[in-house]
Amino acid sequence: MMYQYFNDLAAGLQAKIDENPEKTNARKKYVREVAKLGSRLYSENQSIAWCGICVPFDLLNVMGVTSCFVEFVGALMATNEIADHSIVLAEQAGYASDTCAYHRSVTGAFLENILPVPDFVIGTSSPCTAGLTVMENMARVMKKDLFVLNVPQIPTDQNVRYLADQIRDLVSFISDHTGQALDKERLKEAVQKTNQTRSLLLEIYDYAAMVPSPVNSKLLRDFGIVLPLFFGTDGVIEVCKAYRDELKGTIDSKKSGIEDEKIRLMWIQNRIQFKTDIDNMLEEEFHANIVIDELNTINWGPIDPEDPYEGFARRIISLPIGTDIEHRMKHMKDLAEKYKIVGAINPCHWGCRQGTGSRGMIGKGMKEIGIPVLNLEVDCVDSRNFAPNQVRTRIEAFMEMLENQ
Amino acid sequence: MKPQENKPVGYCCAYTPPFLIRAAGFTPFRVLPVGKSPDQAGQLLHDNLCPHVKRILDRGLSNDLPDLSGMIFINSCDSMRRLSDAWKTSRPDDKTIVLELPSTKGERSITFYGDELSRLCETLAEWNDRSISDEDILEGIEIHNALVEKISALQRTVGQGQMPDGSRKLQEIYNFASTHSVEEAMIRIDGLLEEKREDIEGSDIVPIFISGNVLPDVEAFKLFESSGAAIVNDDLCTGSRMFSKLAISGSGNIFQSISRAIYSSPPCARTFDISDPGAIANEILSRANAAGAKGVILHTMKFCDPYLARIPYIRDHLREASMPFLVIEGDCTMGSMGQQQTRIEAFVEMLR
Repeated sequence: MMYQYFNDLAAGLQAKIDENPEKTNARKKYVREVAKLGSRLYSENQSIAWCGICVPFDLLNVMGVTSCFVEFVGALMATNEIADHSIVLAEQAGYASDTCAYHRSVTGAFLENILPVPDFVIGTSSPCTAGLTVMENMARVMKKDLFVLNVPQIPTDQNVRYLADQIRDLVSFISDHTGQALDKERLKEAVQKTNQTRSLLLEIYDYAAMVPSPVNSKLLRDFGIVLPLFFGTDGVIEVCKAYRDELKGTIDSKKSGIEDEKIRLMWIQNRIQFKTDIDNMLEEEFHANIVIDELNTINWGPIDPEDPYEGFARRIISLPIGTDIEHRMKHMKDLAEKYKIVGAINPCHWGCRQGTGSRGMIGKGMKEIGIPVLNLEVDCVDSRNFAPNQVRTRIEAFMEMLENQ
Repeated sequence: MKPQENKPVGYCCAYTPPFLIRAAGFTPFRVLPVGKSPDQAGQLLHDNLCPHVKRILDRGLSNDLPDLSGMIFINSCDSMRRLSDAWKTSRPDDKTIVLELPSTKGERSITFYGDELSRLCETLAEWNDRSISDEDILEGIEIHNALVEKISALQRTVGQGQMPDGSRKLQEIYNFASTHSVEEAMIRIDGLLEEKREDIEGSDIVPIFISGNVLPDVEAFKLFESSGAAIVNDDLCTGSRMFSKLAISGSGNIFQSISRAIYSSPPCARTFDISDPGAIANEILSRANAAGAKGVILHTMKFCDPYLARIPYIRDHLREASMPFLVIEGDCTMGSMGQQQTRIEAFVEMLR
């Protein structure tokens, strides 16, 4: 059933793209790639791996492994309003409501057997301890072999070499399970595609930083955290080119992402995954635009196609929410300056020890450069506790404060 | 042995090797989440973060600490990472080091953590402006193991019910030994062992194994005993896990040997074996059975992801093995323990 759903979705989007191929169709191409991934995950003739966020997906794509990080499943479930059911199941099985709902929703889903059974599981210790526990539990319940990448939080040479060596071990682990050796020529090509994607993303983010911005609050939501799933493929290059062209077109035609942009904002960490009115409210009532998400960033260099392992390692360690507060604040301050924001919103996802755990330090750090932060106490996946009116009141007060600055 | 009066270096995770601190000429000082420092950590750390790290930060913010020559953090979990962030933010003049600790067992983890321990040693040497030889470290390990021997003797005495109020006294020793020199701790243990009584009549106390993470409050152990429980062993990181005997074998790189020994010691939930996911459940059961426990109480900090994620299958596994199991969540205050008293009493009553 799920295979058919994703297959139909991908085919439908492709048909719409084909109807008007001259249009950039950026969003459609992006969703098409997600649908194709969903379809492959539920097809029965694929090697499948459930993963942590930091896995080098370009490597897995080259090795013929269809893979996805489990938090994305939680996000998709929330977007499609089916997460709450799985969260309740997980809680009934004893998983505490004080833990992250991305993980509770996925846990409920695999306890209910609605996730495809993988060939193996690959965990990553970054960005969070909780994510790794889910991978261990998944391997235990599904009786599948587990591999873990231990990710240090600072990119010293020693740490990079350590992680690079683990990625080499990962290649052997995958080969042992798929029976296929890594094709070094294909890896080289994939890394070249990753580098091309990187260049395109830099262009996209540079465009988004312009005043007024050609993006609106929705266009690039969670872009930087999801897109790596498709690294090393032609599909992601097509998606990035479409976004780049769409933004360039908006700028060339002297338009902007939202009308009369007055307030430029940064969104910290992930968005709220279920439907809310926040984006519309910001744009329509306050002419406020989320021009940058913290994780929409490229803070890693081009990767050497001849020897990509240290490059992969540096990219993994560069994830802002996996590093220490000193590196993370420098990153956020750089973004604040580049995107000329006047305020930031931290959704303080309940159960997350990164964005929420660091709330006070983020507020303090941003205050040093004169950027106020609105802390929303929400759960980005579990909609049961969402209080829309309370959130509205807090946003209204924040916007009024920013307007009066 | 005369008590040493070396300057203290702070640490807050049981994966820190205190004998390396000692070898550098410092006294290891475990910053325990105890005391009456006002609750201020919320300025930097969210309410949903581990109370252990928040209490430690409270102590740092209130300066409820000796004059530390440095502070050692371990990247053992998200909360510990946040603590190191918050510490550096709130006490920017302190000397600090953060060690990376791989989550999984295995040769690569052992090698890497060995290198981290070497880095720690270099840092400690720099902090104290002295060099540290392998002999210094081996001597530190020898003294550490001598302490562990004494503590083991005390554990056996308490476990066999030969010391009135033994669990509370043992926890007092754990706390004292982790914040004072080995010499002072050994003197205190010797004094305590003299209280050993072999004439205590058998009673209807129930042997219980305590599993989990942080529980340094001696009053909590008094509460267990007043509920009729005899704590026959534990794997708490403020308990016996701080005092594992270190078997250093053969020649070669000493840091690699130490790392191997640390990874061979009983782990907390955050460290696991990828070849046996969920093994923690059986490890707890084995330890409880070995201690002759009739039941297991798992005490975890609120918001502790490594434990909260594993409790459901620990519960299932112990149930399948017919080992009674009680989970209590704490927040480093006796208020929360007091609220659990009725549950603990009912649990013990059930096991009589």
